[in-house]
Amino acid sequence: MSFFSDPQFGERVITLMAALALVLQLGMVSQRWLITNIRLFGVQSFLLAAIAATIAHFNRAPHLYAAAGMTLLLKVVVLPLWLERLVKRVGIRKEIEPLINVPASLLISGGLTLLGYVVAESFARPAAGFPSRELGHNTLAVALALFLIGFFMMINRRKALSQVLALLSLENGIFLAAISLTYGMPLVVELGIFFDVLVAVMLLGILVYRIGETFESTDVSKLRRLRG
Amino acid sequence: MEAANLAAFAGALLVAARLAVTVLAGGPVAAWNGFLYADALSALVIFLTALVALVCGVYAVGYLRQDEREETVAFSKLRKYYVLTPLFVFTMLLVALANNLGVMWVALEGTTLASLFLITFYGRKTSLEAAWKYAIIGGAGLALALLGTILTYYAASRMLGTETVSSLNWSALATRAELLDKTTMRLAFILILLGYGTKAGIVPMHTWKPDAYGEAPVPAAAMLASATLNCALYGLARFYVLTAKCLGPGFPSRLLILFGLLSMGVSVPFVLVQRSYRRLMAYHTIDHAGIMVLGLGFGGTLGTLGMLLHMTYHTVTKALLFLCAGNVQQHFKTDLFRRIKGGVIHVMPLTGFVFLMTTLAIIGSPPFSLFQSEFTILRAGLAAGHVAPAALFIGFGVAIFAGALLHIGKLVLGPADGAPPATGRPWRDSVLAVLGVAILVMGFWLPSPMYRLIQAGARILGGGP
Repeated sequence: MSFFSDPQFGERVITLMAALALVLQLGMVSQRWLITNIRLFGVQSFLLAAIAATIAHFNRAPHLYAAAGMTLLLKVVVLPLWLERLVKRVGIRKEIEPLINVPASLLISGGLTLLGYVVAESFARPAAGFPSRELGHNTLAVALALFLIGFFMMINRRKALSQVLALLSLENGIFLAAISLTYGMPLVVELGIFFDVLVAVMLLGILVYRIGETFESTDVSKLRRLRG
Repeated sequence: MEAANLAAFAGALLVAARLAVTVLAGGPVAAWNGFLYADALSALVIFLTALVALVCGVYAVGYLRQDEREETVAFSKLRKYYVLTPLFVFTMLLVALANNLGVMWVALEGTTLASLFLITFYGRKTSLEAAWKYAIIGGAGLALALLGTILTYYAASRMLGTETVSSLNWSALATRAELLDKTTMRLAFILILLGYGTKAGIVPMHTWKPDAYGEAPVPAAAMLASATLNCALYGLARFYVLTAKCLGPGFPSRLLILFGLLSMGVSVPFVLVQRSYRRLMAYHTIDHAGIMVLGLGFGGTLGTLGMLLHMTYHTVTKALLFLCAGNVQQHFKTDLFRRIKGGVIHVMPLTGFVFLMTTLAIIGSPPFSLFQSEFTILRAGLAAGHVAPAALFIGFGVAIFAGALLHIGKLVLGPADGAPPATGRPWRDSVLAVLGVAILVMGFWLPSPMYRLIQAGARILGGGP
């Protein structure tokens, strides 16, 4: 089992998993069903946890195991289950109802992925004098692509819960950027971020529920009484 | 609940004053292994936050009691207010106290989360809409800021060669910021500006602001418009110092001047044609956020001094302005200009008088203090050779001056329509009277320790120790 300690093998596995995460993100763009979207997000989070654990193993960064564990618990188990329950309680059946149709959305996402690669390229050539010790810039490019596509999804979606999901996948991109650039943030900060994400999604969920009850719809493009 | 709240806020103010005195006498202090850190800049923000918290706390007692008497809200809701507000204040204090820039981000996100259900307090359709915008726009903005913070950490860990908690600590970064990787810091600053700019409500990420300020209960809106704005600008200023040291002041200054002027310019038409006085004040806050960002952008001794003076004066004055508006809204049951026929001053003499005086102060007419700080920022702009931005600054300032004075003047000084004078409201009137005297005095005299604290804070913004 010598490949388990070969860093090159580790790098390849990480790149593969990052690519899969990007594929899942594109899947979320093209999916119209909310439940499927939630599950795709869960799988994507699982991949991120696996990437974090792999980096922790190959680069001897034990505190990343904690981040991997937290991701597994929070984003793979707790949040998806909670969101699915919420979908049933609010009684949303389908419809992500994007503003731009799916083929055009996918095209835009492709463009954003390219943009992610262009930006990541500028990090691949570190200024002279700095030891180059970051992971392959593929992972960073994927992270930036997840981030940008997440942003695009937020703008593109009309339903309240689907916007929350977009925000979560955007946050996944940030997490991937953090672990690929610096092997994760310091543990205190990481814990704080996880706590904030958890509370934010819970509060947003409550808000979605109340919007659904009050307006009898969670289409946030109908919230337009406050203007000027 | 009321007593516990007031005691906590009074205690916080005492501690904040004590901290300011300590910092003035002996320089920065740290605690808990460097987890908490306070220099003059943090001490100033902390003091202002604690002050606003106490003032709004006292006001809230009277305000919420009236709401309960008139059965606008149920008693159980009051408990919610008194639980959420201390949490909200705690997160704001943590923003200024945290040494680690990552923890600062966590605390800033915390202010959004803690204040979210203060905005939905009245449970109206419009307040749900406002809260939704606040949460989603704020969440997206803070995500940008988080990416910026991560990039800063990346630059820092490459510079220091280690990845420990302390590599994101302000006290460690500020001394060696010129060694940070330049490409990374450039991108990081843009992300931070957009992110914390969203939280501060500068254009074009300001759209949540009028809704949130218009829907939250008045004491909470007053805190959002003064103390929370300060916290967001404080976060931005910390990164400005790092970026200016790393890349030279030119790059961040240009961006700050651009966004500052944009904020001022965009708020002008909305102030001029506004129908609701709560939203008018919100747009006015966008204008003031723009002024402070502009002051920071002009930089130099004068610019940073002007920014912090403006922050101090704006905090007190804007909080008072919201509290006056709260009295008007509770009495007339509307926040629309056209529904209020008679002049406020005939019905509520004290509120009307203070309202008008505060309006004159906030739009920057002499002899009030905001005139001085705006003038300082203007001088900074001219001294640094930014003639066109300075000219635009004057133009926008005059337009907003006219718009706000016209609207509020009509509201306060309209004809008497025979409505009976309102009954006394001891909690709120005492706050109004005390703060009214305070802003009058501040126009002529700022206590010397306060001024020295502001000067020391400005030195930190200028890159000093």
